[in-house]
Amino acid sequence: MSSIPTSFFGWVYFLLQEYGGILFKGACVTLLLAIVGTIIGCIIGLAVGIVQTIPEDSNKSTFSRLLLKCEKWILYAYVEVFRGTPMIVQAMVLYYGAMSVFQIDMSPMFAGFFVVSINTGAYMAETVRGGIDSIDKGQKEAAVAVGMNHFQMMRLVLLPQAFRNILPQIGNNLIINIKDTSVLNVISVTELYFASKSAAGVYYRYFEVFFLTCVIYFIMTFTASRLLRWWEGKMDGPSDYELIEYDPMQDPCGHFPINPKAK
Amino acid sequence: MTVDNTAPLISVRGLTKSFGERQILNGIDLDVKQGDVVSVIGASGSGKSTFIRCVNFLEEPSGGEIIYRGKPVLEAFKELPLYRTKVGMVFQQFNLFNNMTVLENCTVGQINVLGINKDEATKTAMKYLEHVGMAGYVNAKPHQLSGGQKQRVAIARALALNPEVLLMDEPTSALDPEMVGEVLDVVTNLAKEGLTMVIVTHEMAFARDVSSRVMFLDKGLVEEEGSAEQIFNNPTSQRTKDFLSRFNLMK
Ligand SMILES: Nc1ncnc2c1ncn2[C@@H]1O[C@H](COP(=O)(O)OP(=O)(O)OP(=O)(O)O)[C@@H](O)[C@H]1O
Ligand SMILES: [Mg+2]
Repeated sequence: MSSIPTSFFGWVYFLLQEYGGILFKGACVTLLLAIVGTIIGCIIGLAVGIVQTIPEDSNKSTFSRLLLKCEKWILYAYVEVFRGTPMIVQAMVLYYGAMSVFQIDMSPMFAGFFVVSINTGAYMAETVRGGIDSIDKGQKEAAVAVGMNHFQMMRLVLLPQAFRNILPQIGNNLIINIKDTSVLNVISVTELYFASKSAAGVYYRYFEVFFLTCVIYFIMTFTASRLLRWWEGKMDGPSDYELIEYDPMQDPCGHFPINPKAK
Repeated sequence: MTVDNTAPLISVRGLTKSFGERQILNGIDLDVKQGDVVSVIGASGSGKSTFIRCVNFLEEPSGGEIIYRGKPVLEAFKELPLYRTKVGMVFQQFNLFNNMTVLENCTVGQINVLGINKDEATKTAMKYLEHVGMAGYVNAKPHQLSGGQKQRVAIARALALNPEVLLMDEPTSALDPEMVGEVLDVVTNLAKEGLTMVIVTHEMAFARDVSSRVMFLDKGLVEEEGSAEQIFNNPTSQRTKDFLSRFNLMK
């Protein structure tokens, strides 16, 4: 082992050599949790958001209308409960609750994926609903007028547009998840914060280790943010189009000629 | 489906529509025969848009009937979407699908609703895009087009489904004056080719010159209906006279 350093940066360098591997592993776990949780959360959010925007069609039978109402109410409760309680508490309740009530000993990692996904899902559900609701009413009317049913309208017209609108919000969620998975250390998920705490404890160099941790978190969130920006730009497509020929009907002279009726 | 080819394409019988307590349409009758070009005119708020939206069930009528070739629509078609492909709609605000190119706008209904294959759909779409002078813009997105161009694409989109009637709700009202002409030219050509249309419009000269029949709506009722000649040159109702006198229709 090398000699004990004396300066701040000396310590940082020393700890990086000593615990770089552990911190790197922790960062990978953090990223994995954040990315998988965000993706599954988005899928949950999409599903919930779509159900919540199904119109209550008066043509349908009373039973299917009641069923839809029930579904909407349950989903609404889900969104409110998971948005309204801290993730750190949810993690505790789920992990220890499953163990003591159902005798299920899930791995901390599984509990972690579960909590992050279900939490992101609750936030995304609201975002998706808002994304769909904010699309111009004319788009829906045009879809109906060309004969699309509700499902086709969603798939072909509304969701693609809503997706573009909520992409920044997905990015936000990813960044929040990269940071907030740190709370999962309470159920011993070996993510970056947990790894840092273990490393810092050995030499009692909390400041130096967490300085490193801070830099690693920032590198991860900043990279995620840049990548998402790039993706957004790519989705918008080229800003000009290929014009094949000129428009023969555009008439700079304007107005419909008011001729005497010639019939 | 049995169709009666001698019956009017679309008959509206005693159509009423209320929004909550307010009754907007108070019993409207209209026969649209093959080849008719019916202009619907009337003051703002008289119910023109509500009327035309009821015809393709974009608004659910409160009472009365819409009859397609002699049979009530709800009996003639298992599903409303099928009926809607027979009755094209062109909106005041164009409403092109913003996430699609010009070409996709004109093929999406054919492919997904009518089940036509992509090549066939593209061919049909190109035919109508050429017809409205927009064939050069197939790869453009709606936000890259002028209002007049958008509306011409919207017309091509409706025609691509091969409808039997085209409904238009003030197709030129959202356009800058210099673009009104290009859209009205397209509509005029369609009328000459014998396409059946129902057009809500404030362009009186256009209504007079292009339509075969004119319906004047007032407070949710048909105040007067007849040939363009009759309505514009010899209106019988005082209300019609007052309304038309506001437009400068000098020859
Ligand atoms: N969804 C709705 N809910 C409540 N009232 C409505 C609704 N749609 C239309 N109305 C009312 O119905 C009346 C007729 O509206 P409509 O749009 O049919 O008139 P219009 O003849 O098309 O007028 P304009 O020439 O201004 O387009 C108006 O008083 C309007 O406020
Ligand atoms: Mg209107």
